[in-house]
Amino acid sequence: MNDRNIIALSRRGFLGTALGGIAALATQPSWAASKTLNVLSHKVHQTVLGADGGDLLADWKASNDADVFWTTFDSNPLQDRLFREASLGSTDYSVGYMIDNRPTSEIAALFEPLDDYLASDPIEDFQDIAPGLVDGMTVDGKLIGIPVRHATQGLFYNEELLQEAGIDAPPTTLEELVEQARKLTFTSSAGTPVVGMVLASDLAVFPVMFARAFGGDFITGDFQLMPDKDAMVKGLTVLREMFEAGALPRSYATTRNDDQVTWLQQGRAAFTVLPFARNAQLNNPEQSKYPGKIKAVEFPISAELKGKMPMSSIVEAWAMVIPKNAADKDLAWNFIKEVSSKRATLGMALNGNGPVRVSTYAEPDLVAKNPLAEVEAAVLANARGAFPPFPEAARAQGIMLEEVQLAVLGRKPVAEAVDAIVERVTPLMPA
Amino acid sequence: MRTRNLLAAIGKTVAVVAMLFWSLFPIVFIVMSSLKPGQDIFAVPPRYVFEPTFEHYVSLWQQWGAFFDGLLNSTIITAGATVIAIAGSTFAGYVYSRNSSRMLDASVLFLIVVRLIPPIVVTLPLFPIVNVLGLNDTHAIMMVLYATFFVSLGTVLMRTFIDQIPRELDEAAEIDGAGRLTVLRRVIVPLAAPGILAVAVFVVVFAWNEYLFAFIFTSTRAKTAPLVISEMIGSIDGVDWGILFAASTVQLAPVLLFVVFMNRYLVAGLTAGATKG
Repeated sequence: MNDRNIIALSRRGFLGTALGGIAALATQPSWAASKTLNVLSHKVHQTVLGADGGDLLADWKASNDADVFWTTFDSNPLQDRLFREASLGSTDYSVGYMIDNRPTSEIAALFEPLDDYLASDPIEDFQDIAPGLVDGMTVDGKLIGIPVRHATQGLFYNEELLQEAGIDAPPTTLEELVEQARKLTFTSSAGTPVVGMVLASDLAVFPVMFARAFGGDFITGDFQLMPDKDAMVKGLTVLREMFEAGALPRSYATTRNDDQVTWLQQGRAAFTVLPFARNAQLNNPEQSKYPGKIKAVEFPISAELKGKMPMSSIVEAWAMVIPKNAADKDLAWNFIKEVSSKRATLGMALNGNGPVRVSTYAEPDLVAKNPLAEVEAAVLANARGAFPPFPEAARAQGIMLEEVQLAVLGRKPVAEAVDAIVERVTPLMPA
Repeated sequence: MRTRNLLAAIGKTVAVVAMLFWSLFPIVFIVMSSLKPGQDIFAVPPRYVFEPTFEHYVSLWQQWGAFFDGLLNSTIITAGATVIAIAGSTFAGYVYSRNSSRMLDASVLFLIVVRLIPPIVVTLPLFPIVNVLGLNDTHAIMMVLYATFFVSLGTVLMRTFIDQIPRELDEAAEIDGAGRLTVLRRVIVPLAAPGILAVAVFVVVFAWNEYLFAFIFTSTRAKTAPLVISEMIGSIDGVDWGILFAASTVQLAPVLLFVVFMNRYLVAGLTAGATKG
């Protein structure tokens, strides 16, 4: 008896079905748009173009008979993938989103200079886009990206906790901030132990902000390493004293960016420094114990500089770029023009995007929806990146953070840590 | 004597409880957090008694459709990789078990050396090659990559398993007229089933959770669930922890159930040949 399973399929039948299937797939049904634009981005860039208010690109897609196909990754993997795609002989991606602290000369050379596109087929009122953001995407005199989103740092505070501690208004100088943070290191009426301020220890943003409050910097746009060492010493001394006083968490060395959000939402910290765009999340009633009570102001400058110079907060921006090896550069530029238009910029801003156009902040719809629009616009006017892109930037940042941690935790005198930063980072600076 | 026994029992109990806590706490934390209201996830002091809610699962469904596409891709890729790895390991294991030559013995060392190479070393140079071949972002390349990575370990495991099956059974089948393939299919495979399942567990767990290969070689069509979860963690608008924990629970559940179900085979597979003289 034969116990094998018999499948009633002849070789001819199998081959015919297989070939027919392949042919059907090869003909590619024609119900799709005639053109496809592949975009490599973070999910947030896709979301702000399509959330709530419908698809902001609907008209563009119809008039260009094109569809947009998004590939999204987390920030760092996205940058890695974008640079790898741009290094190939050709890539399917015609538009990529790049962070402004990445384009070194070597990386910028992988992307299409956009000056000629801009001259022959201009973006609507290009001068309206914040010049500082445009400068950040200009490498070796060539514009390689059109800014599309920014995240500018502000000082967030829990208004309810301030009132509980008898503080009527947020600080206007760094010294007041330190004083209030000390006062707010207490146990709240809800029984929660509160620290004055929570900051992540793995980001250069915070020590640089404290140095800038005294007129200093880490690395300037023209690659001067710590032009004012005293300012950095003063900034780190403030952080050190706050840690000593318990106004920074005991877990400072392991505190991360997401902790800042959850600590503020839970009422475990009174102050933190985050992008203004986090306002919605911090006050989200589904996540926060203090919805509507978490407010933001500009990070304050020191008393000695107040009124003499503006505080330069830190801004990080995203821009749209076209890889040199992209297949359809004209369609890519057309897309960039549309996304950069005043209409799309406002639409994205209403969906939570940091608008790169100065005029967008004056739009009544945005002012009504975003209570921080005015203060964010004012801070953006003087903001600049934490440090400029250069090949050894990641190592330089790592060294700086290592020394800052030693100083803040009291394992090294502040002045010694600052000297060590200069000594160790100098060999990494571009010639 | 009684005191010593009592102390030993207490010591063992404490050790088991500590190990259970160490292993289970992260899983329990993730599952519980996925069912907590958003405000309570990181509440201080932690809330262990709460009214469970499925709101994060609903939000996951509504806001992260890509995650469920990723799960489907993960399922297809994991299934394919497992079939390829099992087939490759079984064939190779059979050959290594039933044949002997200087070259064959030397190649066992090669199998182990291949396993020692860090994956990143091979993935980056492969990227342009896979791109030229047009295999980028396909299920096929992911299946082949995952299977390739486990065929070496699977072969060694299967050889050990098949070594325990008496050669007399092969010979008896051959006397009855069976060819090599028939012997493998009718004699070896049924008796080596626990080994095959052990290999399957290894490949399934690896392929289901793998991130690096998926990040390098997929974009949209073959994007797996771990990549989408990494996007949730890296949200520049802030992490929605409730949704993240819900996604982690959904990602964890199938593989956890699979491993629990297959646990006895896994132990049998790993100890195969342990007492062989």
